[in-house]
Amino acid sequence: MKILLVGGAGREHAIALALKRSPTEPRISCFADLKNPGINKVVKETGGEFFLGSINDSAAIIRAAQKAGADFVFIGPEEPNFHGVPDRIEESGIKCIGAGRKVAELEMSKASMRDLQWKYRIPGRLWYKKFKTFEEALPYIQEYAESVALKPARQSGGKGVKVIEDFQVYLQEDKRKVKKEHAEMIVKEHMKDYDDIEYKLLIEERVWGPEYTVQCFTDGRTVVPMPAVQDNKHAFDGDLGLETGGMGSISCGMNLKWGVDDDRAIITEDECKRSADIVKQMIDAIQKETGQKYHGIAAGQMMLTSVWGPTIIEMYSRLGDPEAGNVMTALKTDLVEICEGIIEERLNAIKVEFEDVAVAVKAVCPEGYPDKRDLAKGHPVALDGPWDGILWASAEESEGAIRTGGSRVVECVGTGDTLPEASARAEELTRRVRLTDGWRTFHRKDIGSEKSLLRRIQLGSMARDIYTYRERKGLLGKRMIWVPGKGLVEVG
Amino acid sequence: MAGILGIYLFDSRWNAYNFGVFGLMALQHRGQETAGMELFGDSRVKLAGKGLVEQVLASSPANGHVCIGAVSPYPQEEAEVQPMALADDLSVSIDGKITSVDGYAWDPSLGYEANLRRAYVSLYYNRTDIESVKGFFGRCGGGFSFIAVNAAKEMVAGRGALGVKPLVLGKMGFDGGIVASESCVMDIIGERVPISPAENIEPGEVRVFTPMSAYSEQLSIPKRRAYCGFEYVYLARPDSYINDVPVYRVRRNIGMKLAQESPADADVVIGVPETAMPFAMAYANETGIPVEKGFELTGRRVRSAMKPNQVERLKGVQLKLNVISEAVRGKRVVLIDDSVVRGNTLANIVYLMKEKGAKEIHVRIGSPHIISHCPFGVEVPGEDELIGKHLSEDKIAEVIGADSFRYLSLDGFIDATGMKGEELCTGCFSCSYPEV
Repeated sequence: MKILLVGGAGREHAIALALKRSPTEPRISCFADLKNPGINKVVKETGGEFFLGSINDSAAIIRAAQKAGADFVFIGPEEPNFHGVPDRIEESGIKCIGAGRKVAELEMSKASMRDLQWKYRIPGRLWYKKFKTFEEALPYIQEYAESVALKPARQSGGKGVKVIEDFQVYLQEDKRKVKKEHAEMIVKEHMKDYDDIEYKLLIEERVWGPEYTVQCFTDGRTVVPMPAVQDNKHAFDGDLGLETGGMGSISCGMNLKWGVDDDRAIITEDECKRSADIVKQMIDAIQKETGQKYHGIAAGQMMLTSVWGPTIIEMYSRLGDPEAGNVMTALKTDLVEICEGIIEERLNAIKVEFEDVAVAVKAVCPEGYPDKRDLAKGHPVALDGPWDGILWASAEESEGAIRTGGSRVVECVGTGDTLPEASARAEELTRRVRLTDGWRTFHRKDIGSEKSLLRRIQLGSMARDIYTYRERKGLLGKRMIWVPGKGLVEVG
Repeated sequence: MAGILGIYLFDSRWNAYNFGVFGLMALQHRGQETAGMELFGDSRVKLAGKGLVEQVLASSPANGHVCIGAVSPYPQEEAEVQPMALADDLSVSIDGKITSVDGYAWDPSLGYEANLRRAYVSLYYNRTDIESVKGFFGRCGGGFSFIAVNAAKEMVAGRGALGVKPLVLGKMGFDGGIVASESCVMDIIGERVPISPAENIEPGEVRVFTPMSAYSEQLSIPKRRAYCGFEYVYLARPDSYINDVPVYRVRRNIGMKLAQESPADADVVIGVPETAMPFAMAYANETGIPVEKGFELTGRRVRSAMKPNQVERLKGVQLKLNVISEAVRGKRVVLIDDSVVRGNTLANIVYLMKEKGAKEIHVRIGSPHIISHCPFGVEVPGEDELIGKHLSEDKIAEVIGADSFRYLSLDGFIDATGMKGEELCTGCFSCSYPEV
C-alpha cells in the first residue's frame, strides 16, 4: 500500500501517524510547501518520499503521486479542495480522499453554505446577510447591525472573523465604528486576493454557547461521525485575547465528557447525534445541488446555542487543526481501511471505532502569533526528549535544523482517563519545546483544566435550558420581533 | 479605598474612552470625591478632577486603546488624583494601602504618595519594564490591588499577597481584557456571557497584558488570606462577586442571621437605603414581619458614610432619607442599617422617624461593632470617634433614641459570608489584623 499525503501542518502529521499504524504497513509519501520534521520522520521510516511544492498545484501533485506509485492521495488542508486538486487527481486515474471543488463550496463560500442551509431548511441555521462590496454593507451596518459576527465570505484560513457584541447602547458608537472599519478591512484586505468568489462579506447574528467540532468521514452515502472536539480559539489563558487558528482542543468519548467514566459532559449524546445529522443533511444537500459525490471529510464547526441547540457556525471540507490531533489519536479502526471504504463507497460496511479516551492537544506558539507572524517566524526550535505525543505544525526542517514557520510550531497531545489528566500530560510535553535563540513561546495552560471544563459545562447547560424550552414551545429557531407601528415580524 | 479599572484592547482601532467612563461609573460607589482616567494611544492623556465620573470625565473625550482609571473618596490635600505617576511614564491606580516596601525605609516626613514614588525610584530608577513593575509590587506589603501601565503601554495588574482588596478579570470577546475592582463592571462594559462574568484574580497574582501576550503569574505565595469583610457589608455593589462570592448572597444571609440573633416584636421592617435594603428584606422574610419602603430620596444618590465631613454626611442623610410617614406612623419598626461608625447619622434617622410617628424603633445593624481604624485604607475615622468602641449596645440605644439596638455578632457575620474566619480580615470589628 502506497499513499501520498498532501499538506504539511500538525493535522497532516496526525493523519500520517494514523496511517502509519495501519496493519497494511503503508509506504507514506508527503507533498507540502514546507518540510514538516514530524511528517518527514514518518516518510523516512515507511520508505516514502517528501515532495516540496505548492499544495494547490494539481499537476505537480499528480506527478508526485505517480512517482510514489500512490494507491491513493489523502488531501489534508482545504485550499487544494478549493482549487479542484481532488478533481484533477481523480481525472488522472488516481483515487483521492478529499472534497471535490463543487462540494468543497460548503467550506469555501460561507455565503453559499448559508444559502444552501436555508434553501433545504436544515436545522441550526443562523440569520445572515451577504454583501459583494463594502459600500453595499455600509448602510446596513450603520442602521441595523447589532450583535453580529463579521466574516470574510470566503474561507481564508480562519482569519478576519470578528464577533462584536453590540448590546449596550451607550457603547454603540464605538462598536459601530469598529464594525465599519473591520467590514471594510475584510472586503478590501482579506478578500482582495480572491477572485474566485462573488460575495465578499457575510454578516451573521451573534450567538453564544459552547463550541465543538463534529468531523465526519463520508463516501457520499454514509456519514460516520468522529468524537466531538472542542477547540480553543482565544490566544491566551482564560479565553482572553486574539482569535487564532486554534490553541488546543479537547475530546473524550463522543460527546466531550469530563472523563471516560463520568456523566458530566459539555454536550449530550443526543446533541452529538443531532449535530452529525445536520452535517449529513448538508452533505446530502450539496451533493443534490452540484451532482458531485463527496469523498472525504466534512465537518461542522458547531455551537450549542439558545436559539437552535446544535447550530452550524462554519463547515469544513477537511479535518480541523488542531482537532485532527484528537480524533486521529483516538481512532481505533485502520485509517487505510476507512480510506478504501470511502473510495469504493462502502463505508457503511466498515465499523469505525474510537478508543474511549480523553485527549487534550495544546499548541505551542512563538510570540508574535497570531497577528505579527513575521516576528514569530524563523526561530530555531529544539525538542528535548522523544517525539512521542508531539505533532509538528508550522515548522520547517532544512539542513538538519528546525525553524518556526510563524504559526503554531508544535501541538502536544496528552491522553488519559479524564480531560484534566490528559491536559496535565499535554502540559508536561509543552515544557520540552523551546526556541534556542531565546525568543519566547506561549501556550494555553487552561485547556482541559477543571476550571475551564466547569465553565463550559455550565455554559452548555444554560444554552440547553433555553433551547429545550423553545423546542417544547415549538419555537426552535424562530425569532419574533414586535416592530411598533408595523406589527409582528418573524424570522426563522 | 478606591475603585480601580484597567482596559486593554489589543487592536488600536478601538477607543477605550467610553468604556473607561462607563466602567468607572459602575465603580462610582467605591469613591465619589475624585475621578481620574489616563488613556494610552499615540500619546498619554490624563483626565482627572474632583467630582463624580459624569462631571469630571464624561465631557472630555480622548483617545487610546489602553486605559486605566480610578474613583476615590476623601481626596488628600496636595495628593495627585489617581491614576498617579509612580515614576516617569509609569502610571498606576491603587485601591487600598501599601504599608511597606521591602528594601526601602519609609520616610515619615514625606506623604504616602511621595514615599511610594521614592521607594520605586530608589529600587528601580526609571526602569518601567514589566519585570521592574512586578518586582516593585512584589515587595509591597499591606492591603492593596493595583493596575499599572508602563512606558511601553503594557498593563500589569495584581493583588497584594493578603488579598484584602478585590480585583477581577473580564473580557471583551477577541478584542481585549478588562481588570476592575468589582465584577459589576463587566456587566456594564464587558462581554455579556451568561455565566459569572468575571474571573477572580487570586491574592499575590498578577495579570500582564502586552501587544503580544496576556498571562498570569503568581508574584508571591500568600501566607494567609485576608479578604476584607467590609466589602460584603458595605463597600461592594450587591450585583458584584467578590472573591467568587456573590455579595447579595452575603447580605441576604446577614439579614437572616440578624433575625435569628436579635428578633424584635414589631409591625414593620425598614431598611436604610441603599446598602441595607437586602438585609431588611431577608430579615422580614425570616421573621414574617412585612418589609416596607420607609424613605424617599431627594436629588442624586450619594453614599453618605463616605462623605469627608459631618455636615456633608448629614446633608447626604437628610436629603437621602425623607421618612414616608404612612409607612411608620403608629407602628413598631425594626430599622436596619449596615454599620455604625459615629452614630450621628443613625441618631438623625431615628429622630426623623419618631417625628413622623413611629411608636417604637428597634435598630438592627448588619455588622459587628466597628472598633478600629483600618490600616488598609478603608475610610474609618480615628478610634476616638467610633461610638462602638466606647459605648455598649444599650447605651447606644439611649444615645440615638431607639428602643433597642443590636449588632450582628462576629461569628454570625463570618457564617453569613460562607467563608472561613481565617480567610477574612475582620480587623475593624475585632482590632486584630493579619500580619503584613
